[in-house]
Amino acid sequence: MANTMDRRRLLSTAVLGGAGIAGATALGSLAPEAAFAAEPVKVVPGQPDPNFAEGRVTTINGSVVLLAGSDGALYRIQVTNGTSIWKFQPTTFDRLEKGDGMYVRGVRLPDGTLAADSLWANIVNLTAHIASVGRNVLHLDHHGRRLIGHVVPGTTAAVYNGTPAISDISLLRVGGHVQIIGAWHPDTNEISIATVYAAN
Amino acid sequence: MAAVTGEVSWFCCGSAWGPCASTGRGACGTCTSGNFQHAWPNASAACLAITRPDTCGTSLSRRTCGFVHYTTNLCNGARVGTSIADCGPQTDLFCGERACCGSSCGTNRIIDLTPAAYSAIASLSTGLRPCSVNTV
Repeated sequence: MANTMDRRRLLSTAVLGGAGIAGATALGSLAPEAAFAAEPVKVVPGQPDPNFAEGRVTTINGSVVLLAGSDGALYRIQVTNGTSIWKFQPTTFDRLEKGDGMYVRGVRLPDGTLAADSLWANIVNLTAHIASVGRNVLHLDHHGRRLIGHVVPGTTAAVYNGTPAISDISLLRVGGHVQIIGAWHPDTNEISIATVYAAN
Repeated sequence: MAAVTGEVSWFCCGSAWGPCASTGRGACGTCTSGNFQHAWPNASAACLAITRPDTCGTSLSRRTCGFVHYTTNLCNGARVGTSIADCGPQTDLFCGERACCGSSCGTNRIIDLTPAAYSAIASLSTGLRPCSVNTV
């Protein structure tokens, strides 16, 4: 598709030192939802996606991030001005740190570098039971392990059985089952809660 | 199988960092976050006994490890093909839950995708999306 080719060329140009790109271009928004709608996926079901990487940050050098994949692979990630970055919330490149866990989706360049369309740092999607509730904290039982979930006033949102997200978490019940989108605090058993889905 | 409408989320499996490190390679023993794979609530009789979509009024066909489904994100029309690598989601824990994008809605959790697959059709930070699932 012409749009796909234009988009890939745009990213490649940015990676190779061409004109800088911003979050929105003549091609339209580079925000994740728009990007995903525009990119056809041609990976064979069941097989690895060459345009995806996961692992932990070992080095940040300029706009290049080196990732140590959990399976032992090494990835070179090129971040551009058009890369969508999430770390607990939409953020900027300077918030990334060595040790962050990461999922990256982008375009694989001929030299093996992955030019990042979207990058999610420390993101977790957990199903858990609520063991106890404290002031701005949930103690969670996640597959038999205890996790501490920090509620961030003004940011944490709660979705009760599909209703619109609200900031009030007082309806969460001890013993209740929840799904949590959040950000892991590297090398701890703690997370910050972005959204908690509760089946009340 | 006619297309089934419901909710799609994502889960991690295989080698991983953080809280995901304890999740293992799934019921089929093949699950990897970077592969185009998914969890299905009726991957076996034992699986169905745990997930129980029937208690939410959702009937899902028995499909076993390696079977390919195609999931469409009803928010943007993006579609991804994945193969079964695990049992899940546990539909009965969220019975009646509804996700919508405008007038496009899905009720009950019917499929979980790996991060690679989910991120091909939606941002991981969305966590949950209405979807349709088909075999072609």
